[in-house]
Amino acid sequence: MSKYRFESIFNSWRHLKYVLKKPITIPFNHIFTKKNAGYLHDNSIIKTKDKLISHPRVAADNMRGFHTNDWEECIGCGTCEDICPTEAITMVERMDVKEQAGAHQARPVIDYGRCCFCALCVDTCTTSSLKMSKEYVYADSDPDEFVIMPEALWLGEQVEDGWVKDETSDLLDLKRVEMEHADIDDRKQSFVEIVRGYSKEYAKQEAARCVECNVCTSSCPVQMHIPQYIKAIWEDDIEGGLRQIYETNPLPGVCGRVCTHNCETSCAIAVRGEAIAIRWLKRYIIDSAPTDMYNAIINEPVSEVIDASVAIVGAGPAGLGAAYYLKVMGYKVDVYEEMPLAGGVMRYGIPAYRLPDEAIDKDIDFIKSIGVNIHTNTRVGKDITYDQLETDYDAIFLGTGFFKPRGLNIKGSDHEDVIGAMEFLPKVRDFERGKLSLSDIDVKESIVVIGGGDVAFDVARSATRLQMLKYGKSDVKLTSLENEDALPASMDEYIEGGEEGIEFHCGNGPQEIMQKNGQVTGLRLWECLCIFDTEGKFNPEFDQDCEKIIEGKQVYIAIGQSPDYEYIPNQLKEKITFERGKIKADEFGQVEGVEKLFVGGDILRGPDLISGVADGHRSAQGIDAFLYENAKKEKVSKNIKEMRLYAKENTPEFTPKQKGIK
Amino acid sequence: MTNSMSNVGRINTLMGKNFSLIDAKIIDQYQVSYVLKKDDIHRALSVLKSNGFRQLSYLSCVDWPNDHEIEMVYIVMNWDEALHIQLHARIDRDNPVMDSILPIYPGAKYYEREAHEFFGVAFPGNPDYDKQLILEGWDDIPPMRKDFDPRAYSDKKFTKRDPKENFEVTDKTSKRPRQERREERANNLRTGGKK
Repeated sequence: MSKYRFESIFNSWRHLKYVLKKPITIPFNHIFTKKNAGYLHDNSIIKTKDKLISHPRVAADNMRGFHTNDWEECIGCGTCEDICPTEAITMVERMDVKEQAGAHQARPVIDYGRCCFCALCVDTCTTSSLKMSKEYVYADSDPDEFVIMPEALWLGEQVEDGWVKDETSDLLDLKRVEMEHADIDDRKQSFVEIVRGYSKEYAKQEAARCVECNVCTSSCPVQMHIPQYIKAIWEDDIEGGLRQIYETNPLPGVCGRVCTHNCETSCAIAVRGEAIAIRWLKRYIIDSAPTDMYNAIINEPVSEVIDASVAIVGAGPAGLGAAYYLKVMGYKVDVYEEMPLAGGVMRYGIPAYRLPDEAIDKDIDFIKSIGVNIHTNTRVGKDITYDQLETDYDAIFLGTGFFKPRGLNIKGSDHEDVIGAMEFLPKVRDFERGKLSLSDIDVKESIVVIGGGDVAFDVARSATRLQMLKYGKSDVKLTSLENEDALPASMDEYIEGGEEGIEFHCGNGPQEIMQKNGQVTGLRLWECLCIFDTEGKFNPEFDQDCEKIIEGKQVYIAIGQSPDYEYIPNQLKEKITFERGKIKADEFGQVEGVEKLFVGGDILRGPDLISGVADGHRSAQGIDAFLYENAKKEKVSKNIKEMRLYAKENTPEFTPKQKGIK
Repeated sequence: MTNSMSNVGRINTLMGKNFSLIDAKIIDQYQVSYVLKKDDIHRALSVLKSNGFRQLSYLSCVDWPNDHEIEMVYIVMNWDEALHIQLHARIDRDNPVMDSILPIYPGAKYYEREAHEFFGVAFPGNPDYDKQLILEGWDDIPPMRKDFDPRAYSDKKFTKRDPKENFEVTDKTSKRPRQERREERANNLRTGGKK
């Protein structure tokens, strides 16, 4: 039997019925975009105008056509390049794109000779700027024309979106692994650390969210190797992570707790979701590294290989930063600290519930162990003169910070129950250390704190704890010029402070400290209309009609700190230029007119701890440039040479924020 | 139309009575999934077909390289009951052979050709199973195997063009060289700086 059924020979006549029907063929100009219609027109022998008319048929929803990339949204993170299974995407540097925090000056280019239109790049895009359109027709005789840098418009035309990622196809994990915090009622009664820290499992889970795009690095004042140490956590290499961290930051335990984390603000994941908990991951490495692992960081004793010595005044973040890198580079370093414990603001400003002493000890012990001499209880100008330092040392670094409370000049502020933040906070820390008893600190039952920064919250929340211990209940009110949504303090402080029962009176300016019979009774506030004038200068305006009086028996002032330059001899002061309390110096902290003097930290730049460390590192580089040439040098091992090289190589650049880029 | 949940129950009894099921899962009222032994697949498909599951909706594979196995997936459907049944069975990955189901479902012809092309499974009983279907002149391991490296394949087959000359806008302030140096250094620290 034949494979095919026998059919009548007339069967083919049936096709005749189509002769008079309209064809269902789709003309080219219903498929092609303008460019392709033009191409077709140019390349055909008979040129008719209707070939140029193009009204392409719209492709199906979810069509994975040619890419579009909105340059306004794209941050050049390169996640698309990493995921592309065919290596069709290349990130190309574009220095013409404006520099900004949390972005690279680069954009993706796609080779459509390799692209397989799988849409993984769209699904992993951190900003959702990279999309796929419904355009699928493209022709050209030049193969190079198939390498295309996608822009918001496809070939200059606004086109419809094709493949759009949804919750299921999104490859990023936008939710942060939750961090355990101490219970509100428990933590209010003591100075126990609030943030518990990640366990190994949780840290690995959090680390797995990182896309290693590196956009955070430039926002970190010391430019830590952030994606690399996060990867080390994921691969459970604590020692490697620790070494990477110490390359750029000698105070990681402290920074892992209280850093202002500019990195998290510029995290690529934060564009659509919750930033990677970079700060807490760093803390995880430090917390889980045993002390003996630290020996691996610098595997050779750093001896003084360069015959030059540096005096450092102030053992705060800037001073310790400078000391660490100078030591690593081979100098003899002596640090002079007025207080009994090294650490500056870390020891005497930030309260223990945010930064316990053990964390500071771990960092500072390591700095000491590599041979940095820290002379505590030694105030320059009192226990040792500045002139002495000048004769004994080849260079001097000042990192004395802003440690004096700044006063508020309003009616009634001259009263013993009006207290500056930096008078109060060191006492609180000493209380936690057991050096002072509860009765030594005079905290009344109800208080008012003026200020909206982190320090104001430190005061308010420390006072809450002391009140709980003393009276069993707390009554703390906080007032600031800024509204709740514009507080300079971090969001965590505001939320946690609120949980602990602080009453907020934000957006008000203090006018008078109310007194009755010589006792402070409260604070008169006027509503603040604006803080800065049209020129951007600090010049608050108040609405007198919106007045309120808040009650309190003490008023704490936390509106900023000021420097203490008493230790600097007068003849030296004359050579230094002071600008709004800060000392004028060059990029490396070298003071103009006084060659061997370098400064850093709050007295140069501020505003936070990690910027101080960065200043210290830069000054170490500046001091090295100043001393190295003329100093006697010993022959050194390859290891030490390398350490020196990388201490210099890793000298931090200014962050976009420090350069004034918004 | 009969109640769909009772359909699921009926099929569950039918399958449970006739076959030793490795696993059974009711996904929802329209979908049931069974894991069977390789040798039971043909009998199970025949039984299901005679019980109204006339349509073979899908045939594909899942690669499990760590288990050295390939999982065959058959999906059949009953138009009267709006019910899909998935049958899963694992076969050896190094020598993947699965007898064709052509005598039961003739429509499997092209599915089996596709499965052969993308996963490398042989289907004796299907005369055309090794005939080219989609991948013209394919000369690598089947591309849906998980050890297939699309990047390496692209590199082998397609030239890599350097888009820099056409698109790069760079100058002396370029951050790339420093970034690359820093990354290299950081990665060296991971292994102790020595290899």
